[in-house]
Amino acid sequence: MLKHLFKLIWKKKKSNFLMMLEIFVSFLILFAVWSLSVYNYRNYAQPSGLDSENVWAVFLNFNTDKDSLKIIYKDLVRQKLKSHPEVEAFSFSSSNLPYSFSSMNNGFTYKKKDISSQVMEVDPDYTKVLKLSLAEGRWFTEADKAAKIKPLIITRHLKEALFGNENALGKITGEKDDRKQVIGIVECFKYGNDFQKPENCAFTPSGDWQTDLLIRVKPGTSIDSEAKIAKEISQLGKDWSLEIQHLDKMKATKNRIVWVPILILLIVCGFLIFNVALGLFGVLFQTISHRKQEIGVRRAIGATKSHILWQFIGETLVIATFGLTLGIFFAMQFPLLNVFDVDKSTYLLGILFAVITVYLLVITCALFPSRQASQIYPAVALHEE
Amino acid sequence: MIRLKNIEKVYRTSTIETLALNSISLEVAKGEFLSIMGPSGCGKSTLLNIMGLLDEPSKGDISVGGESIRDFSDKKIARFRNQKLGFIFQSYHLINDLPVLDNVELPLLYRNVSGDERTRLATEALQKVGLGNRMKHYPSQLSGGQKQRVAIARAIVGNPEIILADEPTGNLDSAMGNEIMEILINLNKQEGTTIVMVTHDENMAKKTSRLVRLFDGSQVL
Repeated sequence: MLKHLFKLIWKKKKSNFLMMLEIFVSFLILFAVWSLSVYNYRNYAQPSGLDSENVWAVFLNFNTDKDSLKIIYKDLVRQKLKSHPEVEAFSFSSSNLPYSFSSMNNGFTYKKKDISSQVMEVDPDYTKVLKLSLAEGRWFTEADKAAKIKPLIITRHLKEALFGNENALGKITGEKDDRKQVIGIVECFKYGNDFQKPENCAFTPSGDWQTDLLIRVKPGTSIDSEAKIAKEISQLGKDWSLEIQHLDKMKATKNRIVWVPILILLIVCGFLIFNVALGLFGVLFQTISHRKQEIGVRRAIGATKSHILWQFIGETLVIATFGLTLGIFFAMQFPLLNVFDVDKSTYLLGILFAVITVYLLVITCALFPSRQASQIYPAVALHEE
Repeated sequence: MIRLKNIEKVYRTSTIETLALNSISLEVAKGEFLSIMGPSGCGKSTLLNIMGLLDEPSKGDISVGGESIRDFSDKKIARFRNQKLGFIFQSYHLINDLPVLDNVELPLLYRNVSGDERTRLATEALQKVGLGNRMKHYPSQLSGGQKQRVAIARAIVGNPEIILADEPTGNLDSAMGNEIMEILINLNKQEGTTIVMVTHDENMAKKTSRLVRLFDGSQVL
């Protein structure tokens, strides 16, 4: 029967080529959308490594450029925050707070490797503020800040990039005054957004000039308390100003930057696929109305209703398979050539889901016209010229 | 072989009701060559379609080989048409996208017959109608007479007991028509195939063993 279908399709190759082309293009669009969706879903499913709930990002401006004054002012802020029972923990940090639009990169060297990484200069309580959990080693303490070789905590991703399979704990990166010793490893730390893939990130003790602050407050801390704390801090010095943002809202904003374009792409793709489906539906309807006599003959010589139904669905599936084969050939170049440095399985899942979607689409579009064809009464079909 | 009892066929639209067949009772014996004649629109083709289970009567019973087809499912009717009946149509009804050999193989496609066996049987059928040298041709490359011979080959490839022919010579000139008629007579005489033929041509009808005349949906002879 398959050979029979091939012959029928081959004879109408010109008109079938257009349908095949339509399916090929649909597959490529679906492959792109599915690969993107799989990539982002997989990243999203990974733990973020930090807890942003009940954490405030405080952007302080002491209105001075003098580091000596900043040290004093920061102590004042610390004292004030410690006096508030709502504050569970706090940490000064470099301006590249999680979910902020700032970034600070540094290179780490080890055995001729030079790996660039996001670097966050933070206080020892940073781990308490964001509830970071260490996979190996320990977090640094106040005592470590005075050490000649600065302590360094790195993500698993950076550890693998820099040290490979070696045990990273105790290893020293950099040279001379810039030496840092790895004392801890965190499994992951999604500082950008929830859709971020595992990336290089390192934490070192903060300097004196950082004036951005992360504060973890007790759950249920009211907006009045927030206003009170903000007012008390800003009144500690002359012309001080501060802005408080909630870290989970900052996260939602950064997440939106990723998922809104994906959603728009999905809507556009859905619209395109809907048009393709309408086109397929129309073409199949027209094909079947042109082949009524053939349907009548087939019924007269022994085809059942289900034979007719599956013949038309089968023909459409064979054409779809040709379009898909061509599409898969092109799509397979992505994992083979490691395009965009994305995991191969993401592309393979993208191909699989796109194939399933195309087959479902084709079967859905073919089902109704084919069912109508199978219901045609043989005497009526044979009578039509 | 085929028994029709009080067959009535009414075509209904929202405004008009047309009586196409009126209380037709007819029996076709095994090995008989029956022709049905009558003016255009008298119900000849309708009667043939009902005999071939391509259409359902509004009233009456049909039995084939002593078995009433009233309770036949779609599957059983299809199997019956496939194994017991062969059809020949005035306008041939060949599938233009398939070569001659594939057109003839078609009925075997709906049986459990291997590809090689299908080819062997179709080749034999084509040789019987003198088209052994046209197997790879497409219907569009054949004359009307050749197309009708392909249709006959398709009708006989499954070795059916009954052939139903709807004006098989209607689109052909007299020489071609005689050739086709010759083939049908040979099938009837040599293979013992029962044939029911609808025709307008008195001369063709005279060559058959029995003639039934219809007028306005009723049997007049």
